[in-house]
Amino acid sequence: MQLTGKQVLNAAPSKVWEKLMDTPTLARIVPGITKLEQTGENAYTSTIQIKMGPVNGSFSGNLQMQDITEPTNFTLKVQQNSKIGNANAAIKVDLIPLNGEQTEVAFDGDAKLSGLLAGMGQRVISGVANTLTKQFFSNLEKELAGSNTEKV
Amino acid sequence: MSTMNGMVGKSVKRVEDKRFVTGKGKYTDDIILPLQTYAYFVRSPYAHARIVNVDTGAAIDMPGVLAIYTGKDVEAINGVPCGWQVNFKNGDTMKEPKHPLLVADKVRHVGDAVAMVVAQTREQAKDAAQMVMVDYEELPVVVNAAEAVKPGAPQVHADVPNNICYDWELGNSKAEVDQAMLEAAHITSLEFVNQRMIANAIEPRSYNAFYDEANEKYTLYTSTQDPHLIRLLMSAFVLGIPEHKVRVIGPDVGGGFGSKGDHYAEEALLTWASQKVGRPIKWTAERSESFVSDAQGRDHVTKAEMGFDKEGKILALRVKTYANQGAYLGTFGPAVPTYLYGTLMQGLYTTPKINVDVTGVFTNTTVVDAYRGAGRPEATYLLERLIDLAALEMGMDPADIRFKNFVPPFDGTNQPGYQTQVALLYDSGNYEGVLRKGLSMLGYDDFRKKQQEATRNGKLLGVGFSTYIEACGLAPSAVAGALGARAGLYEMGQVRVQPTGKVTIYTGTHAHGQGHETTFAQVVADRLGIPMADIEIVHGDSDSMAFGMGTYGSRSLAVGGSAIVKSIDKVIEKGKKIAAHKLEANAGDMEFANGKFTVKGTDKSISFGDVALTAYVPHVYPADLEPGLDFTSFYDPTNFTYPFGCHIAVVEVDKETGKVELKRFIAVDDVGNIINPMIVEGQIHGGVAQGIGQALFEGAEFDSNGQLTNASYMDYCMPRADDLPMFETTNQVTPCPHNPLGAKGAGEAGTIGATPAVVNAVIDALWSGGHKVKDIRMPLTSERVWRAMQASVN
Repeated sequence: MQLTGKQVLNAAPSKVWEKLMDTPTLARIVPGITKLEQTGENAYTSTIQIKMGPVNGSFSGNLQMQDITEPTNFTLKVQQNSKIGNANAAIKVDLIPLNGEQTEVAFDGDAKLSGLLAGMGQRVISGVANTLTKQFFSNLEKELAGSNTEKV
Repeated sequence: MSTMNGMVGKSVKRVEDKRFVTGKGKYTDDIILPLQTYAYFVRSPYAHARIVNVDTGAAIDMPGVLAIYTGKDVEAINGVPCGWQVNFKNGDTMKEPKHPLLVADKVRHVGDAVAMVVAQTREQAKDAAQMVMVDYEELPVVVNAAEAVKPGAPQVHADVPNNICYDWELGNSKAEVDQAMLEAAHITSLEFVNQRMIANAIEPRSYNAFYDEANEKYTLYTSTQDPHLIRLLMSAFVLGIPEHKVRVIGPDVGGGFGSKGDHYAEEALLTWASQKVGRPIKWTAERSESFVSDAQGRDHVTKAEMGFDKEGKILALRVKTYANQGAYLGTFGPAVPTYLYGTLMQGLYTTPKINVDVTGVFTNTTVVDAYRGAGRPEATYLLERLIDLAALEMGMDPADIRFKNFVPPFDGTNQPGYQTQVALLYDSGNYEGVLRKGLSMLGYDDFRKKQQEATRNGKLLGVGFSTYIEACGLAPSAVAGALGARAGLYEMGQVRVQPTGKVTIYTGTHAHGQGHETTFAQVVADRLGIPMADIEIVHGDSDSMAFGMGTYGSRSLAVGGSAIVKSIDKVIEKGKKIAAHKLEANAGDMEFANGKFTVKGTDKSISFGDVALTAYVPHVYPADLEPGLDFTSFYDPTNFTYPFGCHIAVVEVDKETGKVELKRFIAVDDVGNIINPMIVEGQIHGGVAQGIGQALFEGAEFDSNGQLTNASYMDYCMPRADDLPMFETTNQVTPCPHNPLGAKGAGEAGTIGATPAVVNAVIDALWSGGHKVKDIRMPLTSERVWRAMQASVN
């Protein structure tokens, strides 16, 4: 499954980068996340609760940031297992500065699904992924706005 | 055919339906045995992966868990066997890698069973199964048969180079066909996919096994099409248990469509484990398991060419098919794309040169085996698509081109059977007859006018033809044996006349929707002149009947019914001796009609019931005759039977959306003599719906990782009543000349004929609008049809 999209955020790339690299922030903004623990440099274990129509379950596994070039891009490797199947993904994330105070976050990757998740979820899962992505960026925007407010 | 009380040919309501429609049917899952336990399977989520470790530690401590078995526990046990051997062209035996009961080393398709959990309840077994931790190391995956044979493709089995199970050919030599093609004025060529189908029987697979320690005997209840075959394969080839210590019962079964003909690993595992656990173990597939673990059907990648002279006469046919066998061989797996496919390439036509070349291939997908029609629909699809397309390409009429090429009518008695280029000898046929009948029902003369009118009005109207033949009545044992069958394909029929004249019939065939209890009773009532209410048809229990080969390949009436007729003849023969003795006449002077034995030319007679009673109370009885009136016969057919017919579809295609609307469907089927027209019509209806399903709606979609992406009814589109027009069906009767009933078989006809008719109709509709599209991949969804239209020059 192809995971592609972009979102413009009202913050400079360095601010966005800071949030994306901060474990406590991520633990707040990733939809459905119930556990996020750092296990090494840029490596985490996580538990994420996802409900998507006929397919819902608790996913646990690893998140790993690779090929990090601050503050412009990184690759997020996701390996999540659940009773309803497993998901593996590598997603390249680019932070593109727009007119100083804005950033376009673009992501592009491929997710490999298995088990029931693949057999029953394919039709709904891209919709679910879109919803989760929207939620994520909406949460991130709030975080960014919040930190801006703090500064003021 | 001789009829006595007119029971044959009547649309008697199905006697079995009373229990089915009142919810009183007894299926395997309805059977709950004392101390019943339940199994759940841990299945692979990956299509190809090495098993690094299986940790059952957490699962075994879960509540209610009695045992957990993994691949390591069954490594010493044989895998499930294949019942049909196909050889390589050079004579080498096909590659037959072990199909283990549980996988120990590496999984080869999504759904491959890794462990079995046995617990007190179904829920406990399922909960515990989810705690079995399996570490997988993913391996590269190959899904497509034509890709799997290429150098460098992932290897499904280490000892099967290039994933090739066999390469096989039939018919005339390639050189002969090539030569004939050189003389062709026109060659129609088509590269296409016959997509993979999922059987989707309404009853999921279900097994219940127990071991009786006192008698050292195993019993397996199973949702199978062939209980005796399961007993033979499981006892002798898998578990090594003496066959007489195994009883296999196939109770009511809710649809098979071929997928329940296989001997499955779960059957053997449950049977084996029931002795170890010491309690009965039951397993019923969840629907999502059925999608990935039931044997699937079709899945061919084919290139076919048909050469014609300038008059439209077929000169030669060349076929190259890559047949996907799945990850392992099913029970009949290799027979389907070879001896049930290549042998049908003559179709109804006099094609003088035919070469069929098939490569059977392993891939990381679920096992492929028989699916209603099994090989014959694939052959028919190929031929009928080619001939309709040739007519379009050559500017000929699709009916005319068929009339030009049909084998002339022959009855198999006064005229000999027709010897094909591909091993078969057709028994009897009148191929022009069914097409003429179909054209008249369609009103073909008007149709082309309507089509032109539709074109003027901006509509795309199309008609598609399919004139098919199938080889049914499986099968003459000697022929089947010569073609690689590892079993005989005769059938057993026992007629047990009870002392009161009531009759119990034991058949080795197995009904799972076909209505045997009605059709067979009609045959018996007719021949013995007794009411149907006095007859019971018993099937499906290996301890009750002498033997049986089960039901598939439209064989039950033609072969199983003929075995019953043989026994009836023996009953009458003996009855005449008993009656003659009682009436003080010669047996040779006795005749039997309407339930009475009569001395010819006199009014001296004795009823069938009195003769039965005398046989069991032999006080006044011939000295040289045994008491009793009970005969068992085996009937081995001398040939296959060859039903045929003509299916016609009329469709309208929406120009803007590509949506196909099936406007009419006409089926003229010649299935030989008909015992119960209503049951035959029902079989045709079901088959046609399934055939249309393949053309327009269904198909397994694996992604490149070997994941079945439409593994539920949300995404796998089954045909529904509101997708279909009222079917217009009729019959032509050309009796089978070589069995006593003259019956040919009707179970698969609909599925065989329907698919190409529908696709041809869509292609015809597109051509009528100037879209010269040769092929659209099935199922013909709106999207695919729309894309094909966009891609073609208008």
